[in-house]
Amino acid sequence: MRLKGRKITARTTAKYVFLIPGLCFFAFAIMVPFFMGIHIAFTDWNGITKDYNYVGFRNFAVALGDRQLWEPVVITLEFALYGVIGNTLLSLGLALLVNNRMGKLTTAARTVFYIPCCFSAVLTAFLWKFVYKEIVTAVFGIKNPLGMPKWVVICIVVMQLWNTCGINMLVYLSGLKNIPLDLYEAAVMDGASVIQKFRYITLPMLTPSFTVCVTLALTNFMKTFALPLASTGGGPAGASRTISIYIYENLYRYNKAGYGEAISVMFVVFLVILSTAVQSFFRKREVEI
Amino acid sequence: MRRRKYTQRKQIKRGLWCLLTLFVMCVFFYPIYTAVITSLKTNQEISRSVTALPQRLGFENYRDAMERSDFMRSLINTCIVTFPSVALIVLCSSMGAYSIARNAKQYRMFGWLDRIYLSSLMLPFQIMMVPIYKIYKTLGLQNSLFGMVLILTGTSIAYATFMYVGFIKSVPREMEEAAEMDGCGPYKVFFQIVLPLLKPVTATVAALHVLWLWNDFNIALIILQKEQVRTLTVKQFYFFSQYTTEYGMAFASAILCMIPVLVFFLFAQKYLIEGVSAGAVKN
Repeated sequence: MRLKGRKITARTTAKYVFLIPGLCFFAFAIMVPFFMGIHIAFTDWNGITKDYNYVGFRNFAVALGDRQLWEPVVITLEFALYGVIGNTLLSLGLALLVNNRMGKLTTAARTVFYIPCCFSAVLTAFLWKFVYKEIVTAVFGIKNPLGMPKWVVICIVVMQLWNTCGINMLVYLSGLKNIPLDLYEAAVMDGASVIQKFRYITLPMLTPSFTVCVTLALTNFMKTFALPLASTGGGPAGASRTISIYIYENLYRYNKAGYGEAISVMFVVFLVILSTAVQSFFRKREVEI
Repeated sequence: MRRRKYTQRKQIKRGLWCLLTLFVMCVFFYPIYTAVITSLKTNQEISRSVTALPQRLGFENYRDAMERSDFMRSLINTCIVTFPSVALIVLCSSMGAYSIARNAKQYRMFGWLDRIYLSSLMLPFQIMMVPIYKIYKTLGLQNSLFGMVLILTGTSIAYATFMYVGFIKSVPREMEEAAEMDGCGPYKVFFQIVLPLLKPVTATVAALHVLWLWNDFNIALIILQKEQVRTLTVKQFYFFSQYTTEYGMAFASAILCMIPVLVFFLFAQKYLIEGVSAGAVKN
């Protein structure tokens, strides 16, 4: 009897013991910084000294009226717009290419498209900086597009697409593989053209993949940080300075950690609302067989 | 006759698709190709023409890059940071996920924890940037590789747990129950029976995290400021901005950084592609 009692307690404690290590790490790296971040957003901490004052909502009020902040906001939205469009077209296109039965070429193509995803942002930025600065200028005889405020965003989007498209390609590819073939056969019987098949079967059946990929691409491009920082440092003249870089600069360059944190809190709220909205938009359109 | 025409047309179409695929593959491969040829050229050759092939095979650039970027040091740093973190992630999140997956129905707390983990995935790194910097400054963990392991593990736990929970829910309970009947304690049940059953998902979790942590830049940039502790990505970040003119050497160092990743990719390709296809994508 005593033995049984002991066993039961061992089992009840075990389920908490299993949780604890992971939870400790999570609390240390996510929960504590999260709540501390909200706390810092209400102070004027400069990132260096120990003492700081509470300033209430002043940081938020300043941010809303900060004209310097509007430029990064607009640039970030530009990144998101071009990024999502480019990502959807390119990764869906690649997935359609790879989905053709071409024997060994299919595997080779899938590997080649995926390899750039293994490289870090710093490496990607360096490779493409060279391509833009030396090769594009030599071959097309134009100025370095990374130095032109008009083109710099698009150029960085291109490198980011190269760096991340493979992942979304795989998601679309597994979506394509899940579409039952008899749907296409039935459509052919009814005399559907290639475009009609794509429009009325492939696209609706792919909606779950769209949900994942579009949300992911949107949040990823909104958070763009490492690529512009490593390739242009936010330049020329702040033309590729995203919100994330602006927050980073507030911490390390302008010594306004409290203000930077207030911006990032607002940024998070905006991001959560946006991605939830996009997700529910696509979820409503998912079809079931 | 008609039939032959049909198959002929089909073949032409197939050929066109293959050509298109090959073309896109070349476009994707071009930056890597450029890196390889540039790394083999001398500075004079590069200034003469950026697109020409190197005239001879010379590995001086590689030797220089190894020495000047202190490649081995940062490679070791990256290994010290990556592999213990991945081991911790696998251990902690498989245990946590097991507990969540088996108890979420009876106990509310476990279900809530699952939801907290999930919603934390939405948080971007930017909001954590300033507080983590502050915590590390107060604790004196800046420039410490140990501190880096702690933070990398912590930021990855939620996602890894999420992947494990999904998998464990599909593992039948009978084996565990039978083992318990035979008098196995809960810890023995987990480590000797459940953990071996989780091999497929463990491979995917481990492979993906090795790649993600190896390439981590944001956290390393904030925490590792000193020369000696920099990991490959941070090292490269400063190295590339230092040597903007000596392309040959900079590219040699870029290639050196690519090699470990490519080797890893070749070995873990199956698990990486499987994992991503199953929806394992993280922002």
